[in-house]
Amino acid sequence: MDVPITFVALAFGLHIAMVNLGIALATLVPYFKWRAEKLGNNGLLKAARSLMKFYAATYALAGVFGTAFTVFLLSFYPKFIGLAGHLTFVPFGLAILFIALHFLTITTYWYGWNHLSRQTHLAVGILMAISSYIIPLGFRAVFAFLNTPIGLKLDPSGKPYLDVLEALSNPTLLPLYLKSIVGALTVGFLVMAGAFSYKYFHSSEEERRAAEELVRFSTLGAIITLIAMVLLGTWYGFSLMIVEYKFNNIFGAFGWTVGDGVIHQNYGWLFAFKITLVALQFIIVLYIYGKLRGGSFINLGQAKLLMSAGTLSLIVLISGELLNEYSQYPYFVADLTDPKIASALPEPVKQLLVDALVIKPNVLATGSELIMLTLGFLGALLVAAAFFIYLILLAKPKIEEEY
Amino acid sequence: MADIISQWLSYPAPYDRILSMIGVEFHWAILQYVLGLSFMAFLAELIYLKTKEKKWLRVAKTLAKGFVIVFAVGAATGTASEFGLVILWPNLTEAAGRYIYFPLYAEIFAFLLEIVFIYMMWFAWNKLSPKAHIVVTFLAFLGAWYSAAMIVSVNSYMVAPTGIYAAYDPYNGWKYDQGYPKVALYVPNDVVQILNVTTLQKLGMEIAGKTDDSVIVLMPSRIVQRLAYESWLNYKVKDSILTAVVKPEYAGNKELLETPVKAIVDTILVNTIRHVGVYTVTFQSPVYFSSILHVLGSAMTVASFTAMAGFGLRLLRAREGEYKEYVKAGFKFAAVIALVIIAIQGLVFGHMQSIDIAYNNPEKFAAMEGTSSSITSISRIVGTEGLMRILAYGDPNAELPNYDKIPDDYCQCLVAPNKAVPTCKPPLIIHYLYYTKIGLGILLGLDALLVIFYIWRGFSIPSWVLKSNILAPFVAHLVSFLGWAVREIGRKPWTIYGVMTVDVAHTMNPPTVGTVVLVIIFFLALGAGLLYAVWRFIWKPGGE
Repeated sequence: MDVPITFVALAFGLHIAMVNLGIALATLVPYFKWRAEKLGNNGLLKAARSLMKFYAATYALAGVFGTAFTVFLLSFYPKFIGLAGHLTFVPFGLAILFIALHFLTITTYWYGWNHLSRQTHLAVGILMAISSYIIPLGFRAVFAFLNTPIGLKLDPSGKPYLDVLEALSNPTLLPLYLKSIVGALTVGFLVMAGAFSYKYFHSSEEERRAAEELVRFSTLGAIITLIAMVLLGTWYGFSLMIVEYKFNNIFGAFGWTVGDGVIHQNYGWLFAFKITLVALQFIIVLYIYGKLRGGSFINLGQAKLLMSAGTLSLIVLISGELLNEYSQYPYFVADLTDPKIASALPEPVKQLLVDALVIKPNVLATGSELIMLTLGFLGALLVAAAFFIYLILLAKPKIEEEY
Repeated sequence: MADIISQWLSYPAPYDRILSMIGVEFHWAILQYVLGLSFMAFLAELIYLKTKEKKWLRVAKTLAKGFVIVFAVGAATGTASEFGLVILWPNLTEAAGRYIYFPLYAEIFAFLLEIVFIYMMWFAWNKLSPKAHIVVTFLAFLGAWYSAAMIVSVNSYMVAPTGIYAAYDPYNGWKYDQGYPKVALYVPNDVVQILNVTTLQKLGMEIAGKTDDSVIVLMPSRIVQRLAYESWLNYKVKDSILTAVVKPEYAGNKELLETPVKAIVDTILVNTIRHVGVYTVTFQSPVYFSSILHVLGSAMTVASFTAMAGFGLRLLRAREGEYKEYVKAGFKFAAVIALVIIAIQGLVFGHMQSIDIAYNNPEKFAAMEGTSSSITSISRIVGTEGLMRILAYGDPNAELPNYDKIPDDYCQCLVAPNKAVPTCKPPLIIHYLYYTKIGLGILLGLDALLVIFYIWRGFSIPSWVLKSNILAPFVAHLVSFLGWAVREIGRKPWTIYGVMTVDVAHTMNPPTVGTVVLVIIFFLALGAGLLYAVWRFIWKPGGE
């Protein structure tokens, strides 16, 4: 087992799951609040506020796992980070600036609830949503570059640099980015539908009405975004045909190959697993939607089924990300194996890229004590994080709020 | 003044250095509240548990709200600083990731500790018993302090790396003629075999000892920096200064000549780090202990003076009653901490830090003290040079390092000078920054003393004192910023003192000046937004 890459994958998986929930919440909370105010729906307003409280309390967990991901990369694969730093000022810079803006808007939106005018608060909410969409644009541009290094240029002195406009024309970027955003909304809809269907059975009458409305809205939203996901996933799959190594590793097991047709690492099983779970989600939400269209609300058993669809969506999300990263293992840039690309590079740039882009861990960061330390700390802190989420979502107050 | 500013700008990558300075300072300005207010909230909560007086709970909650609100942007600017380092100084980042990664790695756990417990402390306050809650508050501030301890160790290593031997003796002057400053390295026996030790000794290398697998050497910095330069510019041995120090029998070895310099340097550095301690190397930096104390002291200073100013302004308008009792308690609490911490910070932590710099980075110390005839030296005008000898070296007969006698090229490998580095001398601008910092620090101490005097006299504080105190947080921030400016600017032209110069650390694709300006404007707008949020959500609703 490649321990460093497992730590990187674990941090990334947790990060991506929470970030996706964040994108959904950053979009839906301002919408729900706006709708609640327009309709005078107090239950929906309360629900929006409780969702925002959850987001304000937990968004930073997504950030910390993102930081963990980059620090693990830095510690285990320092050459890769060094090279990325030389080339990626614009995409990383874009993401950084909007992370800072997004965090400020979360704070302002949460603490500004009932303190800012409706219009100002809505404007902050829209800014919160927009910034949540721009952050992944920067990161996905880097991921598309890791598929195939379009935009990598050499200046007359032989120095490598990134032609940003050309990098943006990477055919894997747009489907990957759109798939990420729609995927985030899918996860958000399904988790929300599951959570509010559970809440429906543990709430007062007013809260029940809001929960029912949210479940209906989220279930329909999930159907639409799941259909979009299938289309965008197909588009992304086709776009990967130019990245032979990766395409064959994912789809080769099904007889779909390009180029030399060689499967270097078979990840068809992970793709099949993911698609099966997507199909299951489809079946569940279509079944629930059918029940809801009948007029009455679902029963507790059906609510549990909806909750399981929420859990499945998170598993699909993480497995999809792992599929995207692992299928190019052991290369940071999947296309580096393509002789057409590698042979076009002069020395010493070629050697520099090969050294930096082959996954080979730092010899100073492979001690067993480091692994034990990481497992110990991460384990304890994840338990603490779970307890924290329990306190936020489920625990009853022990003392009265005074100030 | 124009001369010393242009000297500072003459070192490599001036705009990116300014961009980094603004980004890191923005992060640090916020972090000081996370470090300082979290500890103060913990103390206030402890007092509440002991006295059961509600006013202390309210003080604790006010302080906690202060750092919870700014923490969000602090975390974001931390991420920005992290990525900023990656995209502006990628070679430094790569070197840090390869050789001194551990504190950065361990900081992740600190960050997670902060995230979980700071938000648990705030969002689940009423869902925990008071005793359980204070444990959570303790863990919240512990996370912040643990995080600082990790990051400061890396910065300390950049200020004075473990194994640095400086070039100054307070009784015999500069030692550049003996090849100092030098860096201790554990050179593996395999590498020693191919090197001509006699030639290296003529160049200033000293053999300091042996282990089973290595020879411990003190290598002149001018050689170490050249090897760092060649490593990150992808030199091969055939084009390197190494050709001058390999044994004749290896001079024609094609395999060796085609080997990247970085591979050989990496072998030596990995071996050195393994011997010194993979997990402890940065903590062994000779300036680490004083640095972490000084950093925490600075955070407590900014936090306590800000809290004192805030409660002081409230006191102006508070009518008698429960609310006024709470405000008075908060004001007195903050004022006492402000006085205690500014005294310790100036007299103990700052003093320890200066001694460490005097011994381990004497070029910077010379610039700090302004021992150059080319500038108007404040210490010369005020007549504190004698005092500085005693403070720095404990002896009035010791000599302060003379800036003018630092060779312009002490950091250069003379056979292959690095043309990007205009001078090896540190920028003299830090002399004025340093003395401004000291002057303002003394002013803060007097302010805290005055406030405590009036509190001691029965809380009859004149309104002009309370009103003028609003300036105190800004002054405290300025003092803190100037401290970091002296530390970071004063290290130039080095990024890691004695090892790596700024041009080597820098990206090969720097942003344009226009981009830098845009990013700076963005950060300033964000700062304004944060100030508005603090005013709107902490100050405004906090009234009676």
